[in-house]
Amino acid sequence: MGHAIVTGGAGHLGAATAHALRQRGHTVFVIDRPGEALQRIGNEAGIVPIACDLLDPEAASAAFSTAWGMAGAAIPILVNAVGRIHSAPLVNLLAAENRKHDAAIWRDVVDANLTATFISTAEQVDRMVATRTRGVVVNFGSIAASGNAGQAAYSAAKAGIVAATVAWGKELGPFGIRFVAIAPGFIDTPTTHDALSEAALKDWQRRTPLRRLGTATEVADAVLFAVNNAHFSGRVIELDGGLTL
Amino acid sequence: MIEPALIPLLSDVLGVPPKSLTDGTTMKDVETWDSLRHIELVVRIEETFGLNLGPDDIVRMTNVAAIRAVLAQHGAAAA
Repeated sequence: MGHAIVTGGAGHLGAATAHALRQRGHTVFVIDRPGEALQRIGNEAGIVPIACDLLDPEAASAAFSTAWGMAGAAIPILVNAVGRIHSAPLVNLLAAENRKHDAAIWRDVVDANLTATFISTAEQVDRMVATRTRGVVVNFGSIAASGNAGQAAYSAAKAGIVAATVAWGKELGPFGIRFVAIAPGFIDTPTTHDALSEAALKDWQRRTPLRRLGTATEVADAVLFAVNNAHFSGRVIELDGGLTL
Repeated sequence: MIEPALIPLLSDVLGVPPKSLTDGTTMKDVETWDSLRHIELVVRIEETFGLNLGPDDIVRMTNVAAIRAVLAQHGAAAA
């Protein structure tokens, strides 16, 4: 099989995706910030860790050059599983001062989700176009793209990812490069449990027609569908147990 | 033979009458010939003439004469 790059592949959903691609025979380059999680996933055969801060354009370019150089062949698959959840209201009525959403945090959240996806996609697609490589870029959106109260920055960033996915699908389709967004709902990962109280999670489960959280494996399965179906492009796969119906 | 295929191809991709296209026609002369349409143009030329254009070729192809020159350089014949 071929090669794939997973950015944010040291995170829970990214790692599940990297494993799924590896199990189907791909050599997977995981690009993520340095740390224990990256070291851990890099210990597995067939998964190559590349430490990089994707928000540094020069570092990102070097990381993609490293992956393509090590592959020694075209890399037709990029999965952008980068991201960071942040919850804060626009105006915090309980705060005596500094009531407004912090602008620096807003920029950080948008950068961590949307800008990182943009930078890595540009690096990958530039190489795909230059080598006339047909393939797919799968971006992680979220059901938050339609607007979660208390998560405006995260929601806006994810909506931006969905819009960019559609725009790029239109732009690069003639080159045989597809773009797909995955929009997970509430997935049973440590990140979800850290971001929400157990009471809130139970409430979301009650409001989900399937009455349960999704699993990281199910998210990885959706990525595999996007990778394997060569006629699917510019669309969003909503994987939320029916929550947004 | 490049000529019979090139002008109809450009006309079709750019959405302008064939007679409006001459060797002197540049991107600036054709409103629809922007960077996005250029992608489609590159793909159609590659498919039609059975070749792979390099990054330098693509950057050069900003007028009809230059496209003709690039095709000649590649020894292109309509596929």
